[in-house]
Amino acid sequence: MRLDFGGLDPVSLQRISSADAGFDLPCNPIGSAPSFHLPAVADLDGFEKAAVDMVKPLHGTTTLAFVFKEGVIVAADSRASMGNYISSQNVKKILEINPYLLGTMAGGAADCQFWQRNLGTRCRLHELGNKRRISVTGASKLLANTLYSYRGMGLSMGTMIAGWDETGPGLYYVDSEGGRVKGKRFSVGSGSTYAYGVLDSGYRWDMTVEEAVELARRSIYHATFRDGASGGVASVYYVGPDGWKKISGDDVGELHYKYYPVSEAAAEQEVVMKEASSAS
Amino acid sequence: MAEAAIALPPKGGFNFDLCKRNAMLEKNGIALPRFRKTGTTIVGLVFKDGVILGADTRATEGEIVCDKNCEKIHYMAPNIYCCGAGTAADTENVTDMVRSQLELHRYATNRESRVVTALTMLKTHLFGYRGQVSAALVLGGVDVTGPHLHTVYPHGSTDTLPFATMGSGSLAAMSVFESRYKEDMDKEEGMEIVSAAICAGIFNDLGSGSNVDLCILTKGKTEYLRNYQKPNPRSYIRSKGYDFARGHTAILSTRITPLKDQVTIIEGDAMEE
Amino acid sequence: MHENIANIENSKRAKKKEHANQSRENRNMAMMMPPRLNPTDSASGPKQHQTWSPYDNNGGTCVAIAGADYCVIAADTRMSTGFSILTRDHSKIFVISETCALASSGFQADISALQKNLDARHQTYQHQHGKQMSCPAMAQLLSNTLYYKRFFPYYAFNVLGGLDDQGKGCVYSYDAVGSYERVGYAAQGSGMQLIMPVLDNQLKSASPLVLPKRETATPLTEAEAVDLVKDTFASAAERDIYTGDGVEIVTINARGIQKQYMELKKD
Repeated sequence: MRLDFGGLDPVSLQRISSADAGFDLPCNPIGSAPSFHLPAVADLDGFEKAAVDMVKPLHGTTTLAFVFKEGVIVAADSRASMGNYISSQNVKKILEINPYLLGTMAGGAADCQFWQRNLGTRCRLHELGNKRRISVTGASKLLANTLYSYRGMGLSMGTMIAGWDETGPGLYYVDSEGGRVKGKRFSVGSGSTYAYGVLDSGYRWDMTVEEAVELARRSIYHATFRDGASGGVASVYYVGPDGWKKISGDDVGELHYKYYPVSEAAAEQEVVMKEASSAS
Repeated sequence: MAEAAIALPPKGGFNFDLCKRNAMLEKNGIALPRFRKTGTTIVGLVFKDGVILGADTRATEGEIVCDKNCEKIHYMAPNIYCCGAGTAADTENVTDMVRSQLELHRYATNRESRVVTALTMLKTHLFGYRGQVSAALVLGGVDVTGPHLHTVYPHGSTDTLPFATMGSGSLAAMSVFESRYKEDMDKEEGMEIVSAAICAGIFNDLGSGSNVDLCILTKGKTEYLRNYQKPNPRSYIRSKGYDFARGHTAILSTRITPLKDQVTIIEGDAMEE
Repeated sequence: MHENIANIENSKRAKKKEHANQSRENRNMAMMMPPRLNPTDSASGPKQHQTWSPYDNNGGTCVAIAGADYCVIAADTRMSTGFSILTRDHSKIFVISETCALASSGFQADISALQKNLDARHQTYQHQHGKQMSCPAMAQLLSNTLYYKRFFPYYAFNVLGGLDDQGKGCVYSYDAVGSYERVGYAAQGSGMQLIMPVLDNQLKSASPLVLPKRETATPLTEAEAVDLVKDTFASAAERDIYTGDGVEIVTINARGIQKQYMELKKD
C-alpha cells in the first residue's frame, strides 16, 4: 500500500505552474502525486471487465441540455442502478462545477463526480492564474483532454458542459472516448432517445425561460416514463448571464399526475343486472 | 435412411436435446434459471437396534434462504427412508419414483421391501443419467436382513457404511462422527450424536441451517421426529410492529358493485329458512 | 524439427508482443498518459493461474440511519467465504473520529487496507490542523481514496455515518469506486436487497433534490431507529446466509459514541 499525503499539503504557487503545463495527475492536480494503482494480473483488460461486473458502478440516466435565446437549460433525472437494483432515487446528476458552469452525469457515477470536481479545481486555478473566468470552450477542452489521455482504460462518461462565459451561452458534449462536440441541443443516457423525441418536437430558439424550463421538464418526465433505468426527481437548471440557478425539482411520480390528471369521479354505482330481472 | 432413423418413437425418460444449446447460451453470457439447491447436511448412523437418519431443514437459492423448514428425509417404504442433498427437484423425484416402484414390488411379492432393492433402483437410475440428475442420497432402513445404511452419489456409485454424511455440511458432520462414533450404541446415544452432527452442519456450513429432523428406523418400528431440535429461533422482534394508519393509500376512484344473487330458481319453491 | 518450428513461432510472437508494448509506451509518453504499470507478460513473467482473482467476497451487511441529532451505524459480525464461516466476531465498523464511523462489507483485506489508509490520512490531518476531520470532509476523502484505485478498486462497499458541523446526523453511501451521496439512510452488502425496501417503507421522505425544499430528515427517534435496525438485521439473518452471528450497533450523538451488541442467529 502506498499512502499519498500530497493532497493534504498546503498549496504553493510553483506547483500551480506545473499543473497548468497540462499534466493530468489524478491523485492531486497540484502536487507531484503518483498515478493510479494497477493490478498485477496477466490479463488487465479482462480484469477491468470482471471488476466492472463485481463492483457494479452506478448506471442508467436521462440528461439533456439545450441552448436557446435566453441562455442554457440543463435537466436530468436522479435514478442510479447497479445491474437490476435501483441503488438510489436521489442522485445529483447535475454537477455544479462553479457558479457559471454545470456538468451532467451519465455513465459511471464515480468517474463523473471525480473528474468534474477535478475540473472545478482546475477552472479555479485558471481563474487565479489569468484573472478571468475560464470559457466554456476551455473548460470542456480541459476535460476532454483528460479523458482522452485515459482512453481505453475503461472510464465511462457522457457529459455535457454547459455554462455562460464572455461570449455568451456555451454547450459542449464530452465523452470518455475523447469526443468533444459543440452544439445547441444534446441528450445523453439510456433514456435520451425518449427525451430527444419530446425535446426536438418542442424546441424553438426564441422560447421564454418558462417555456424552455417546461420543455426540459416534460422531456425528462417522458423519458422516465418509458425508460426503466431513469426516474426519481426531474431537476431543471437555467444558466443565464448571472450564472446558473436551479429552477425546479419535481418527483416524476407527482409529475405524472400533473401531466395525466386523475379526475376525481364520484363513486360509481354499477347498475344491477337487467337480464336476470327480465328473464324471470 | 437417416431420416427414418431419426423418426423412431421416443423411448421415454429425460430429453437431453437442449443441453448443447444451453451450454452455448451460458457461454454467451445468458444466465440459466437457478435451481433450488438444498445446500445441506444429511447424515445417517447404524446403532445397536437399527438406523438413525438426520437432516437440516434449510433450502437455498444462491445466497438466499428460500425455505427455512423444508423436509429432506423422504419416505421410501414403511421401513426405509432416504435423505436427499443436491437439486431439490432431483432428490424429490428420484426418491418418489423409487418409492412407487417399491410399493408395486411389495404388492407383487407380498414381502417387506429390502434396502438393497431401493439402493439398486437408485443407482441404476442415477448411473443412466451420468450425474446429470444431481441427487446425493443417504439411504437407510431395516429389513429382514437387519439394519442397512448406504450413500448414493449423483453419478451412481454407492457406499455401505456404519455412519455416513452428505451435502455441503458433510465435512462438519463427519468430524462429529469420526470423533464420537462407537459400535453398538443405544438409541439415546445415537440420537444425541446424529443431532450433534446435524448441528455441526447447521452452525458451520452456510448452506445448512434452521432445524434438526430425525428418523429412527428399528425392527418393525419407524419414528419420524420432525423438528426434533429448533436451535435457531428469531433473535429480535420489533416492539412497534409494522402497522399502518388508515389513509396511507390514496383513493383515486371508487366503484361499487352490489352483490347479486348467484342462483336463480327456475322451478320449484325456494327452500324454507 | 517440430520443436524448432514451435520455438521460432514463439520467439516471433514474443517479439511482436514486445513491439506492441513498446509502441504503446511511446504513445503514452506522447499523450502524457499516467505511467501504466505493464502487467507481467505471460510469456516472460511468472505464470498466473487463469482463474485467479485478487478478490474474494467475505459477505456481511451494513446499515446506517441519520436522524435529526443522532446517527446509527450497524453491521453484522460474521465473516465468511464461500459456504464457510471464517469468524463470528469480526467488527465491520471502524470508528474514525469522535463524530464519524465507517461500516464496510465486501473483501475484508481491501477493507482493512482502506481503513488503515484513512486512519493514516486522518492522523496527518490532525497533526496539520490541530483538530479532527469533520464527517463531510471525511466523506470526500473516502471518495477520493476509493477513486485513486479506480483501475484496481477496493472491493469494499461503504457506508459512512456521523454528525455534520451542525450536529445533525449524516449518512454517506458509496459504490466501490468512490461515487457517493449524502442520504438519510443506507444499506450495503449481502443483505442490502432484503433490508433496503424495509428502510424505504419506514423512513422514506422527500428527496433533497425537490424544489421547493421539503423536510428530508428521517422521522424516527434514536430509540426507534435502533429498534428498527435490530429488527431488520434479525430479518436479514433469517434469509441471507452471509448475515448472522451478531450485530454491532454504534450510535453517535451529542453525548459521544455508544456501542451495543445483539446476538443474531448462528446458522
